[in-house]
Amino acid sequence: MTVNPRVNPKKLRPYDEPPKRRRTLIPDGPDTAAGGFFIVAALWLALATALGALAIGLRVITFEIKAPIGIFDLAFELNERRVEYAFVNATVYGWLSNVGFAAIAFITPRLTGHRLAMEKMLLLALLAWNGALALGMVLLYFLDLNPHSALTAFPWFVDGGLATGALIVAGSFVLTAASSLRTGYVSLWFIGVAILSLLGLMSLNAGLGIFEQFLNLDELPTALASAFFEVALPAMWLLGMAFAILYYVVPRTANQPLASGAAALLAWLTWLVFAPASALAALVDPSVPFIVTTLGGTATILLVVPALLTVGNLAATMSGRWTLLFGIGVAAFAAVSLVFLMGTSLLEAIGALRAVDARVSGTDWEDGLFIWTMYGTFTLAAFALAEHAMPRILRRAWGGGLLSGAQLWLAFGGATIGGLALMGGGLAQAALIAGGATPDALSAELLIYRAIAFAGFGLVALSGIAMLVNMFLMYTTAEPAQYVAPVGSASAPAAASH
Amino acid sequence: MTIHTPIETRGSGIPAWVIGLTVFVLLVGGVYLASNLAGENPAFAIPGASAPAPEGSGGADPAVGEQLIGSVTPACTACHGADLSGGGNFPSLHGVNDGPVSENLQQLATDHPDDWIHLWIDGTTPETEGIDRGGMPAFGEQLSPDQIDSIVAYLKSL
Repeated sequence: MTVNPRVNPKKLRPYDEPPKRRRTLIPDGPDTAAGGFFIVAALWLALATALGALAIGLRVITFEIKAPIGIFDLAFELNERRVEYAFVNATVYGWLSNVGFAAIAFITPRLTGHRLAMEKMLLLALLAWNGALALGMVLLYFLDLNPHSALTAFPWFVDGGLATGALIVAGSFVLTAASSLRTGYVSLWFIGVAILSLLGLMSLNAGLGIFEQFLNLDELPTALASAFFEVALPAMWLLGMAFAILYYVVPRTANQPLASGAAALLAWLTWLVFAPASALAALVDPSVPFIVTTLGGTATILLVVPALLTVGNLAATMSGRWTLLFGIGVAAFAAVSLVFLMGTSLLEAIGALRAVDARVSGTDWEDGLFIWTMYGTFTLAAFALAEHAMPRILRRAWGGGLLSGAQLWLAFGGATIGGLALMGGGLAQAALIAGGATPDALSAELLIYRAIAFAGFGLVALSGIAMLVNMFLMYTTAEPAQYVAPVGSASAPAAASH
Repeated sequence: MTIHTPIETRGSGIPAWVIGLTVFVLLVGGVYLASNLAGENPAFAIPGASAPAPEGSGGADPAVGEQLIGSVTPACTACHGADLSGGGNFPSLHGVNDGPVSENLQQLATDHPDDWIHLWIDGTTPETEGIDRGGMPAFGEQLSPDQIDSIVAYLKSL
């Protein structure tokens, strides 16, 4: 505040004093929750990519640590499997899920015109989700691991904390958007199904954990439920949110209407049918009818439909604004995400064929596809939203700088190289196993693929650091800016629109 | 105040390319579904846990054993070769009726002449405690006794 030296502040009357800024203990301004989720997500991204690089590194140079801590016979154990589980959980529950929540908190008010319901409660959701996750991540190194899958490895009380966080976000979304859903934009439909699926799956997982803990359930049903969960969660929650984000940011950044509402609705409908059905393919056991797993495989193949419709529709939406793709900004992030979406959909479809699945199942191929899906498709979509949303949340004039370019190219290059190296290694692994190669020979042959994957994933880790620095500099050095609503969506400049 | 900025849509009809693409991929899926209607799923692999016995494996069945040899994790063929004739440090599994070829198993075979193969594959019982397994997993953690008997029956038939 500038003080006029000729005015004695002590002689000012109360109404002459500038109004004091009142701060509440719990911040409740618009977009507070979205900003919080974005910042936490960026921290998880940095951790997840570091764990990913370590997990791949441990395949190149194997070592294990086991150190008793002297309490309750507990021991700290660090080995390849535990680091891999931590990497998968930090990626799915830490980085991508927090971005999903941020997307809900950012997009929903703007598409419905209503302030987010229970926005303060969303901060509680942030605490519940991330507190439970942090606890679960620590316990991964001390407790016996659930052997079925990485995403169901946490104890039931951690899953309960995650389900609580999902419940609050789902409640907030439903209360905000319920009245607008029928006429709402397609992103709201994707978000609605995605968040309710997350809530349902997390509750199921926590419930199963409780039953397993206290009722000694049979091993096989629990294992099959875990296998179903591991496919359903990314297909319903993460893929749904990726669609929601891409359908939101592309028309916004192109400043043009969506090319086809009917094609978007068809994409939503086909995703709604095929995504949950695709998880049936994981129920591979003689106790499950063959036709059920075949239906799951067919649904996985048919998930190409919503991907194709989305890519085509959003490409048509960009029509006439192609120059945006050659800059460093939201459009470039979204375009790369769409390319990965198409690639991973086709690879998933090929991998769902029984003949292919029998060869590549359990090999490095699956890890390569995981990296393409999570760090190609979903991460680039998340970067697109962050690039669009963070300047609006922080009210700063920012975007498209050197650090955004670093994020784009490092994530693109790293995910491509890392994923391709592991998928190539997986194919080699399948051929070697079929030829009866010994474990030692397998490790020796796969070394080069894994070393390349390690280097590639290191680039993804650098993109995570670039995102953190980008957000920090945006907050600390960028000029304040006001983002106002456009009078007409097609005439207002993109930088000034919501 | 929250600013309401809806996203407009340009067209309301379904473009021809959308119909064409959707029908084409649905046809591909239909062909795949029609050509995979019959068959049986393999056993679900539960790492570190006892797998349920496959149907029809109530006793020692060499056919079940042959199937299990390729489906356990890691598969027996991964170390002992596709035809189980061995390679490198891994011995041949042909001729197990004549006793073990590995030095470390001689004492086990002497003490348990009838079931040394079962005990060795299981690897979780006190009888095999202290014997250097040379990298071989203890399959008792993922196979039932009947399943191990089926594998033994198959190996003896080689």
